[in-house]
Amino acid sequence: MSGFDTRAAAALADSTLKTAVERTAGTAEAKRTLAVAAFPDFEAARTRAAAIKDHVIAHLGHYLEQFEANAIAAGAQVHWAATADEACRIVVDICRKANAKNVARSKSMLGEEIGLQHALAEAGIGRIETDLAEHIIQLADERPSHIIWPAMHKTREQVSALFKAKHRTPHEEDSIAAMAESARRELREQMLGADVGISGANFLIADTGAVCTVTNEGNAELSLVPPRVHIVTAGIEKIVPSMPHAVHMLRMLARSATGAALTQYTTFYTGPKRAHDRDGPEEMHIVLVDNGRTNMREEGLADMLRCIRCGACMNHCVVFRQIGGHAYGGTYPGPMGAVLTPALDGLAPNRDLVQACTLNGKCQEVCPVRIPLPTLLKGWREKSWREGLEPTSMRMGLGLWAWVARRPALYRLATGLALRAMRLLGRRGWIETLPLAGGWTRHRAMPRPAASSFMAQYRKERRP
Amino acid sequence: MNARDAILGRLRGAAPDAAQAAALLVAPERPAVDESALEAEFLARLALPSVSASHDAIDTIADLPAAIARYLDAQGEAPTLCLPPDPRLDPCDWRGFTLHDVAAPAEVAALAIARRGIAETGSLIFETSPAAPMLPNFLALHHIVLLATRDIAPYLEDAPLPGTQPRAHYWITGVSGTTDIEGTYVRGAHGPRFLHVILLRG
Repeated sequence: MSGFDTRAAAALADSTLKTAVERTAGTAEAKRTLAVAAFPDFEAARTRAAAIKDHVIAHLGHYLEQFEANAIAAGAQVHWAATADEACRIVVDICRKANAKNVARSKSMLGEEIGLQHALAEAGIGRIETDLAEHIIQLADERPSHIIWPAMHKTREQVSALFKAKHRTPHEEDSIAAMAESARRELREQMLGADVGISGANFLIADTGAVCTVTNEGNAELSLVPPRVHIVTAGIEKIVPSMPHAVHMLRMLARSATGAALTQYTTFYTGPKRAHDRDGPEEMHIVLVDNGRTNMREEGLADMLRCIRCGACMNHCVVFRQIGGHAYGGTYPGPMGAVLTPALDGLAPNRDLVQACTLNGKCQEVCPVRIPLPTLLKGWREKSWREGLEPTSMRMGLGLWAWVARRPALYRLATGLALRAMRLLGRRGWIETLPLAGGWTRHRAMPRPAASSFMAQYRKERRP
Repeated sequence: MNARDAILGRLRGAAPDAAQAAALLVAPERPAVDESALEAEFLARLALPSVSASHDAIDTIADLPAAIARYLDAQGEAPTLCLPPDPRLDPCDWRGFTLHDVAAPAEVAALAIARRGIAETGSLIFETSPAAPMLPNFLALHHIVLLATRDIAPYLEDAPLPGTQPRAHYWITGVSGTTDIEGTYVRGAHGPRFLHVILLRG
């Protein structure tokens, strides 16, 4: 079995995981439905959000240069990184120059993508994850399993046991509120003592040079205001032309992610502390990261650069809801992850990942920027076929099917025989075992097929 | 070739027509707000479970200390307050309060003056300046906000001011909350657990 198959099989066998994923994803789905119902023009707003992102991606160089000039004018230092390694080197160098012992990090998927946590560890720099879920993940020494709820795979019982084992003064009452209070006690002092604060960016505002972060916990501000240095790592696709464009995207982001009209805390940082300001960092560094994005723009994946990392696609995905995020293997899980991971890590090791989709289209229906995720996944499947990455059994099976399908008489004979066999196997209404399809029937039964094929019924109906 | 030139070299193209970007903002879709009843609209959003802020109203700035004392007393807290060095608070008589202007790590209550209120979402808009530090608003358990009713605007597009941007421009729409454990909402994740808005109607 491939890596993905192995991980997916293990996830399917883990009933605790399924419970944890279902509790959070189910809540997120219900909340988004209510939020969208309360915004009558949401469909038109999705079209506008897609148009804003398409405009930015088409003129990305122009807006990046405009952003850079305005950020520098506001006192920030702008760095450019073509690769993940280069981005990590820049961040570590800034930390070393600041003589940083500890950094406070506000959740950033780009930070995960470039492996910043490993680079900091290798450089001997302490790291405090300040988002509650990332704190859970750091204590458990695991990877995030969702881009909005990185600890989605953990049940409350597992989190409780973890905090009791690792916190200095853990909760006594086993309620979720008491667990959150335990984390608050544990993290506050550490956040205030950090030398450097590191964040991602939800949006970069070209005409002001501002960096926008959104959180519900307020951990970004508590991580980024007290330290001497603020470092931002941001993908180059995060640009919007102006604040009103950002406002439109923010309306879409919160509703799609958590079902709220807006996140509790939305902050636009423009440069470092000004003269006579009482707080704020003395230095602000912005690292603009490519890491494959210019390739995606040139190689038919420009639509994917619209993504605003809301997580709605995975919350509504039947596959993600069964296997959770870790099974996907890359930084980004779910449908958006299945499209992004081959672009970031190569198609060959992720050939089976792009097959893990029913193409039911639900992800595309809920995407706030209308990314055609099923179409992009099909594009990867076609590329995998063209490049000969599919296993021999798949190529032979499809070849045989194509040979039969081009011979209508033979095809009708074969399907007629298969129909009879399947009706025999499903005498009680459902087919519970099927030769060569054990992987399917192990987890679900198939309904008994009709007595004759569609074409046979069609011919019979047309007969006068 | 450095990374900047390598990246921009692959992205260069014709600059967009400014009208093109502006056209994307014509008549944006947004939730409806009754612009003739902005205060009522704002208060309705403040009361939503997702924002869950309490509120009070005063007629003059001199009434502010009594309103804060009432709130803290009702919460069972001592009249201790982190106050911003804002000259607009000069008319206030703070006798009976213990005041300080640097927030403690376990700050109980901090006052801030909002630049704007936004009726669309119940958001409070702040900007940093020498008279408006940022950190107390995130450290305090009780975040108390003074907002003049004339500063309530309908939509989020009204939040930023044109011109030079402050170091930080930030929107607060509720209390520090988390749904990171099984999607269950908990107040007071890292920052304020309570948000109290005092409207200045004078």
